[in-house]
Amino acid sequence: MAGPDVFDAIASPVRRALLDELTGGARSVHDLAAPFQMSRPAVSQHLRVLRAAGLVAEERVGRERHYRLDARPLRAVADWAAHYEQFWQRHARMLRDLLEEDS
Amino acid sequence: MASIEVDEFLSQPPGRVWQALTDSALLARWLMPNDFKPVIGHAFTFRTEPVPEHGFDGVVHCQVLELEPPRLMRFSWRGGDLDTVVSWSLAPEGTGTRLLITHDGFDDTDPAQRMVMGILGGGWRGHLIRQLSILLAGDQPT
Repeated sequence: MAGPDVFDAIASPVRRALLDELTGGARSVHDLAAPFQMSRPAVSQHLRVLRAAGLVAEERVGRERHYRLDARPLRAVADWAAHYEQFWQRHARMLRDLLEEDS
Repeated sequence: MASIEVDEFLSQPPGRVWQALTDSALLARWLMPNDFKPVIGHAFTFRTEPVPEHGFDGVVHCQVLELEPPRLMRFSWRGGDLDTVVSWSLAPEGTGTRLLITHDGFDDTDPAQRMVMGILGGGWRGHLIRQLSILLAGDQPT
């Protein structure tokens, strides 16, 4: 289960948006700053909080640092959300089949 | 409030669909065995397989909260750690029906659910859930 750092980390809408952006793959600070119209130091500050929570990992690519999402602290949540989404999709299809069958 | 939304187009008119949603025997055929009655305030259960690792004994405790045939039904959905509300709303679309299933009201005292609400804000964003699931699928414990 996720620790309290994770809750703090995702309490900020900017940090949630950064996580969302990182679902598309690793990004440099420069790439991350562009869509948010934020300064690089401001983005770096948010990334520090996300790293402390274990949600983001840093890696060096040449002279740049890239950041990538580490979703493991969110596993319980993601599993659970996906479970319910799939549950209702599956049963909606069963309803459709039942109605077709009885028509 | 966080919610999961699933919608489905059904080629039957709302009256037919409503019957499948509110007749206990039909409901059992597409969802789960139940003792549902279409009466506001009626308490009922759905019964399914227990999931002990999630503290779920296989019984979903429900109560009918709203009933507006053939347009809307809302009912509470409590089981395991969940204390939530499910809505089924029906809108005519052509000669058929658009069914929108909304599952919301997640308990904000539960850390996992609070986290989901934090991440997803006003609604469950399917693509983020799917991305997380894909990313996590790579390191499942075996």
